[in-house]
Amino acid sequence: MINTTEENGGIKLPKKIKTGKIREKWTDIFPRYLTFISHMRPILSETRRIIIQLIKEDPVLLLSPTILNDIREQEEKRNFRKVRASSEFSAMYRSNVYEIMKEFIEEFKKKLSPIELADYLIDHLHESIEALRILQEITNPDQKNWQNTYLHLLVKFIEDKVFPTGVNIQNRYKKLLNESKDFFESQRHLLHPHTFYRDKLENPDFLVIPGITPKIYQIINNITSLYNLAPNYGPFPEKAGYEIPMILKNEVFEAYIDSIAKTEQETVEKIAERIGLRIIDDLFLAPQESFIAILISNDFLRTAVQPSGNIRYIPQFSNETLILYYSAFASLRRGFLSKELINWIAMNFALLIYMGILKWKLSDDNIFYKIFKDLQTNEKILPYLMKLICFPKYLGIDKMKIRDSVQYRKEIFNFIGSQIDNLKKLIEEIAIFLDSIP
Amino acid sequence: MSSITTVKCSWNELLDEFKVGVENAIAELNSHNIETINGAINPLINRLSIMGNNFPKNNGQIFTQTIDNIIQNAFFPKNLTFAESFERILNSRTHEQDFIINELINGFIASKTKTIASYSQGPIIDRMVEAFSSRNDFHIVDHQFYAMFGDPNKPRAYVRENLQSLIDLFGLVSKQLVVEKDIKRSEEKVYTFYTFPDDILIILKKKYLVTNPITGKLSVSEAFDRNVFICLFLANTAVNRNNLNSIGGKYTVNGISAIFALILVLSFLPTVTAPPQILKHPSFSTPSMPISVIPKSWMMKKVLESMFEPLIKILAFRLGGTQWCEAIIYTEISKKIHNQIRFLLKDVNKWILGELCRVEIPIFVSILNTIQVTLQAQQSGGSQTIP
Repeated sequence: MINTTEENGGIKLPKKIKTGKIREKWTDIFPRYLTFISHMRPILSETRRIIIQLIKEDPVLLLSPTILNDIREQEEKRNFRKVRASSEFSAMYRSNVYEIMKEFIEEFKKKLSPIELADYLIDHLHESIEALRILQEITNPDQKNWQNTYLHLLVKFIEDKVFPTGVNIQNRYKKLLNESKDFFESQRHLLHPHTFYRDKLENPDFLVIPGITPKIYQIINNITSLYNLAPNYGPFPEKAGYEIPMILKNEVFEAYIDSIAKTEQETVEKIAERIGLRIIDDLFLAPQESFIAILISNDFLRTAVQPSGNIRYIPQFSNETLILYYSAFASLRRGFLSKELINWIAMNFALLIYMGILKWKLSDDNIFYKIFKDLQTNEKILPYLMKLICFPKYLGIDKMKIRDSVQYRKEIFNFIGSQIDNLKKLIEEIAIFLDSIP
Repeated sequence: MSSITTVKCSWNELLDEFKVGVENAIAELNSHNIETINGAINPLINRLSIMGNNFPKNNGQIFTQTIDNIIQNAFFPKNLTFAESFERILNSRTHEQDFIINELINGFIASKTKTIASYSQGPIIDRMVEAFSSRNDFHIVDHQFYAMFGDPNKPRAYVRENLQSLIDLFGLVSKQLVVEKDIKRSEEKVYTFYTFPDDILIILKKKYLVTNPITGKLSVSEAFDRNVFICLFLANTAVNRNNLNSIGGKYTVNGISAIFALILVLSFLPTVTAPPQILKHPSFSTPSMPISVIPKSWMMKKVLESMFEPLIKILAFRLGGTQWCEAIIYTEISKKIHNQIRFLLKDVNKWILGELCRVEIPIFVSILNTIQVTLQAQQSGGSQTIP
């Protein structure tokens, strides 16, 4: 043991020195990403072959559940996989596929002929195999020609809409604002990690940027309305002869009963920085100089000449004015995002890519959609996709902060399922974009 | 004001107080014009003078009709059992209405529950929805409940006490299951479950349990959401309105009265045509919902306060009689609740280039219609009530 100070001549050593994580290189993660996909695709191809054969023999055979059960058992016996986890997954996956086919046949056997049923099954299987093919070929082991891989194209496409890169914050803000007409819900959603309560607001590290908690969101709304109603005006510190709008810091928190929003009140300075504001005279919240330039160029400030000859900037904010600054700021400092925000952003990107590919390849009534959306399938594919997305050539955020806890993943995947409304439109756009790739 | 003033609650005095409050608000509006849209202040002053002059007429006929017939009927039914009230409130849900009511009341419950279960992670109602929808019999076991909402750093008695108030807030019940021999210890073991009262369970099962046609399994449908708990909270408060302690005391009375007062006032807001720069704004294009601009002066603190204080008392009087009216006290905390309601109002509406645009929902429309019909009847000299 090396954890006592006396034994080491008074030098304090950490109790346990963490060794670096083993599987963090591209060449480690990519094969793991492929593992389960490469199990799923052959199962679907086999099934398709079996259906075609059955139809050739006698289409009516398809209607008997016992025959399908027998076939499944036969297939399971052929299993040669040595790794227990993979063979278990394959068995689970195959049984899901067969169950869904049986349900489908049961439901429609009175309305459709066996041949038609088989046609539908074969079509749906074909679509699913195609989707898996795209997922498998999303990038390659040595990132050859990475600019043209689906992964790179998709990450950049989504990034442009909700978390853009750019030379400076103004540029990023502009890009966000251009997209906000259609995607503001998604842009905002990307900043709201479900696990916000794990983030410490009073983080001693000034640089770390956490996500927006529901309360911060409310506070930002309050700030917006206070600016719009009747703000105070004070001299623009950096520019003589100009007045900028200011609101009283305390007024923002007036709405809360004592015990609520105390942490926020204490950390208001940090919160203010992330939405482009600063504290003046320890009393007022006023926009930073750089933010004023952004506000003017986007019509969020208009000018009025005062009787004193001063030019006054009058605010006319919208809901997105401050939120988008948060987003642009987080995007600019993406190396300093909190663990929760990184997991959330990476997960949303992974989910968008995954769902976008499914939307592109699968017809809306595809019966296998629910296997793809199943939590068990999700958790085999998305975590590795999340890590791939984090690499520098793609999103460029700290992949070491991606949590490996199964429980944690379940929690966030479960949650995202209920929040998908915010992303629906973006998923559709991704499918259209994929269709346009030559 | 730090001392608690004894409030006299007689209906006529409340009506007079309201009249004075509205007059003060109008005086405030005349002295400060913060409108940026030309002419926006005039319709507001018109509406306010109608409120001040006509609302208290005929013994407050407009108040009794809107509060008793519409607001109470939809969200706070009188003289019904818990289950009947719950069903009534649940049935008055519509998609658009859900959004506003959800924002308003959920914000209130969230702050209320936060003070009770301050340790728990994330919004409490969401977690309750999650917990109760995991089993198709709408039960959760006590230790699961403690794990979700209790604070492990506090003594168990404290946790219990606070959780009991959470149970009371929603009108949930606890049931016990006695196992004669526990497998582990071969001793008698008592399991405590939390669930909904029996009558409510019947409604929930009818409405939210769906059977998978193929597998035959019963599961809780996705329609079971946080609004079910909001309805439950309202029904519980409505039924136990005479027992202040069991519904959360003065805090609840202040909160509910303030929210309903806001709904009433919002319904009678004037509409101002949006200026061209707003109409041109890309996010304005929602043809299915008419949007109008809320005059800014309406949201001035002094205007709202002078009008709201008597109005909240009127609401409290109609909802819970003298007992509720006396619970509206002007301490700092009640001021803060009113302020919070004011901010919630801004959350449910949309800012576009500095103008607050609002969305019409059915309850507002039906309140406005009732007010207009009664006003017409008053003007034509008839004193009969038109439904």
